[in-house]
Amino acid sequence: MTATADPGTTSAVDASTYTVVVQFLAHEARLLDEGREGEWLELLEDDLLYTVPSRQSTEPRSDEVNRAAWRIRDTKAHVRTRIARQNTGRAYSEVPPSRTLRLVGSVEVVPTSETDVVAAHSSLLLYRQRGIDVHFDLIPCRRNDRIRLTAAGPRLLAREVILTETSLKTANLGVFL
Amino acid sequence: MTIPSEPRSASAFSTPLDVLLDRVEKDMQDDLVPAEIFHSEEVFRAEMERIFTNTWVFVAHESELPKAGDFVQRKIGLDPVIVSRDGKGGINVLSNYCRHRGTQVCQTDAGNSRFFTCPYHGWTYANDGTLVGTPLMHRAYGERVDPDLWSLKRAATVESRNGFVFASLSEDVPPLEEWLGGAGWMLDLITNLAPGGMRVAGPPERYTVNGDWKTAGENFAGDVYHLPTLHKSIEDVELIEGLQGTCEIGRTYEFENGHTFIGHAWTEAIGPFFTHWGYGAIPGYVENFDLSGLDETQRFVAEHEPPTVGTIFPNLSFIRIFSPLPDGPPGVFTSFRQWQPVAPGKLELWNWQFVWDFQDEESAQRDYVGGQYCFGSAGVYEQDDTVAWEGVQRAAASPWMRKEGMKFNYQQGQNSPVDQAPDPDWQGPGVHRKTGYGEHVQFNFLRQWLRTMKGQTTPRTAGTSTTDGGMA
Ligand code: FES
Ligand SMILES: [Fe+2]
Repeated sequence: MTATADPGTTSAVDASTYTVVVQFLAHEARLLDEGREGEWLELLEDDLLYTVPSRQSTEPRSDEVNRAAWRIRDTKAHVRTRIARQNTGRAYSEVPPSRTLRLVGSVEVVPTSETDVVAAHSSLLLYRQRGIDVHFDLIPCRRNDRIRLTAAGPRLLAREVILTETSLKTANLGVFL
Repeated sequence: MTIPSEPRSASAFSTPLDVLLDRVEKDMQDDLVPAEIFHSEEVFRAEMERIFTNTWVFVAHESELPKAGDFVQRKIGLDPVIVSRDGKGGINVLSNYCRHRGTQVCQTDAGNSRFFTCPYHGWTYANDGTLVGTPLMHRAYGERVDPDLWSLKRAATVESRNGFVFASLSEDVPPLEEWLGGAGWMLDLITNLAPGGMRVAGPPERYTVNGDWKTAGENFAGDVYHLPTLHKSIEDVELIEGLQGTCEIGRTYEFENGHTFIGHAWTEAIGPFFTHWGYGAIPGYVENFDLSGLDETQRFVAEHEPPTVGTIFPNLSFIRIFSPLPDGPPGVFTSFRQWQPVAPGKLELWNWQFVWDFQDEESAQRDYVGGQYCFGSAGVYEQDDTVAWEGVQRAAASPWMRKEGMKFNYQQGQNSPVDQAPDPDWQGPGVHRKTGYGEHVQFNFLRQWLRTMKGQTTPRTAGTSTTDGGMA
């Protein structure tokens, strides 16, 4: 694999790496859709950084995403506590848990300067129906991930979620993106 | 010129709204509130006319506009406004509707610009709102279009307190200082603990809440009774303890004009080291505090019984809590939030985390992120609050409950053995009670709502001068 300064200029990984990463993204989406957050947690590296930066309508467009401002900036410990809270059965916004469907697509996988880490860019459309709501929410976003390829399989090292919306229409971010 | 408002009361010519408001007034004497005020087209429309275009509304914090040309787009009720810092350093609150045909001249949430050019026909306004250009002027208009007549509409009056900029679309309001009254005194002890005060940690995050703005306002006025139930999960994961006692150690601060705060007697409950919201228990804060500008009561309140939440009428609220964090030392987090009315039973939450001006980047980031972890769209507390509020407006819109004339129960204090009398030794402004029981705080907020809706608020003091649309 060759390192690339700009992950946007696709110097794609080989087909087998691509398959492994796409399979990983599909698998974690299914774990989350099936309420298996505990198993999903096992797929996160200990030095995980999970961020949802702020997005505003600006000109130039390049100022839209502010990477020094966040809705979420979680380490693995934060994520673990979120899951523990949901497992108390008293995190009322998610009692019962939202019914979700994560559609992951447009996956690009590119090498990084670290030989065992790839960058994966994907789009996610999360369908969510919460509690007894008659309506549903759609949470559209793009994700910029860094995934470590370990002997035990791929592990999520970093995830940056770029929400499509500046003002969220869903009730909260009580679901993982 | 505004015609002095006549108090409104039901008569032979009463509208259904007047009748409803009279009913609210009567029910409130029994500590009841008709449910329908939390979801009604008529009430909502009247709120826009009688409250949001008629009183002081928060629009921005000065730290969001550090440089000349900086602007943010905000809301006053349903109206989009541009809050800008002009070349002279003044802050302007401008309507975002072009004077030609109304197109919005500013299409972004924030930025820096000397001009706003309307995308429709190109009328151009300076960032203080002055009309400075009209395309093809000589052929189209033959002469300069008079900026005295055709500049962007400006808020009738703009003033700021501790960096919090408020605007009123009516000039018939008391000066901000007088309007805030005790809330200004409280704001001082919240934000002026250190030289330089507080600044926003980042832009506001925004999201839709299917709840009425008044429900959010009354919750933050001081509903501490919900903590042991709705937020039990936080105790389960050990991010807080002792929720059961929250009302026992509650301390209310009820001010004029509906502004209301509730605090907790932390040093009494946790220990003498737990001063200033718990800042006393974390290194790096109290060392930088200088409370010498505060009066004795303010210093006592800040040290021992500080406000946890509060609402400045109509729709600016505050929260400051101490919380352990999953990945490191605990923190004290400060958020100001605005409940923007969108439609009956629907609001948009704007949430700003605040940090101290003295904090370095790393420390500020820790508090910013910690604050978001607790209160925000992904906040482990707030996720549950906002969805609980959905039910209030649904009940309010329910055909069956309308038929039943459903009233909400605010009678908690009536037969409670807890002493809820105002503290006779209280030296500060307003009313202070040494308990969180009794739902007095929610009523202080809702009474102001009723007074304003009925046109019973005090008009501007005669002879008071207000700045027209800008603030030097
Ligand atoms: S509507 Fe703005 S220039 Fe015509
Ligand atoms: Fe709450």
